[in-house]
Amino acid sequence: MHIMEGFLPWQWCVVWWIIALPCLVFGIYQLKKVLEKDREALPLLAVTGGFIFILSSLKLPSVTGSCSHPTGTGLSTICFGPWITSVICAIVLLFQSLFLAHGGLSVLGANIVSMGIVGPLAGYAVYRALRNTRTNMYLTVFIVCALADLFTYFTTSLELALAYPAEVGGVMSSFALFMGIFAITQVPLAIVEGVVLALVFKYIVQLKPDIILRLKVFPEEKIRAARGEA
Amino acid sequence: MSSKYGLEIIALIAIIGFCGLFLYTSSIMSDAEFAGSDTVGSSQIAELTGKAEEEFQPLIWQWSPPSGEIEAGIFALQAAIGGILVGWVFGYWKGQKKRDTTE
Repeated sequence: MHIMEGFLPWQWCVVWWIIALPCLVFGIYQLKKVLEKDREALPLLAVTGGFIFILSSLKLPSVTGSCSHPTGTGLSTICFGPWITSVICAIVLLFQSLFLAHGGLSVLGANIVSMGIVGPLAGYAVYRALRNTRTNMYLTVFIVCALADLFTYFTTSLELALAYPAEVGGVMSSFALFMGIFAITQVPLAIVEGVVLALVFKYIVQLKPDIILRLKVFPEEKIRAARGEA
Repeated sequence: MSSKYGLEIIALIAIIGFCGLFLYTSSIMSDAEFAGSDTVGSSQIAELTGKAEEEFQPLIWQWSPPSGEIEAGIFALQAAIGGILVGWVFGYWKGQKKRDTTE
């Protein structure tokens, strides 16, 4: 999902940075608040952040004959919301642009918007919609993680399409082109990511249900039912 | 999840399916290079603008790994950082749980 350094005109770099910065500031503020309230949230933050580190380093082959990587943002979106997720993503993306030449400092804003803001926000919207329904908790996690992943790549496609509209057909036509590259490759990866993170969430619920309860990630009866204490 | 290991089984099927899909794609697409989608995206940009890829110079100077080996190493480092965090916390929680149940 990285836009490579130099491949985005500077005007667009500025636009995406302007969108990304307030989100990051708000994320840091929220992060401080959560940790002040409950120090036990820190290990959970480390686990969800750890998965973003792991999954975004795995470049997996896909049906289009190219490789791409999952984002891993869904889990932290569910536990901490989209803004704190933006902060973790910014750290990962900074690491990748400094040491791996994946993305870069000028395009960091655009990459934060796709991976750290729009993806998690899309996932969060679905999570809020499903949280209090009868939908199975793990199914919810699966859907949220898969969507957060897919929407990241939709956003990358849109960012590139806006900067490089096709001569014939304009933004929509080049959006379709970039979607073909990024989004289709991503579908199988998003499914695997969703399943794996749902499994991870199951282990968190088994090991440390009280922190999930205290952060009100899911209603109490759902967590009890999932642990077989209904 | 009705059975105890339902989710584990689903995850296993998904991963095996994913590997199968990869084997199938790589066998029918003999020209598939499995390059990163970032790279494919960049060449698409070059095609749309009619400029050569080399003309896209970084706006801000950046260090890039001198070889694929070094890049792979740094990626492994990134995954290791994540792995340490995850393993450490799961162990911490497991220890907490053990302490709470034995006390």
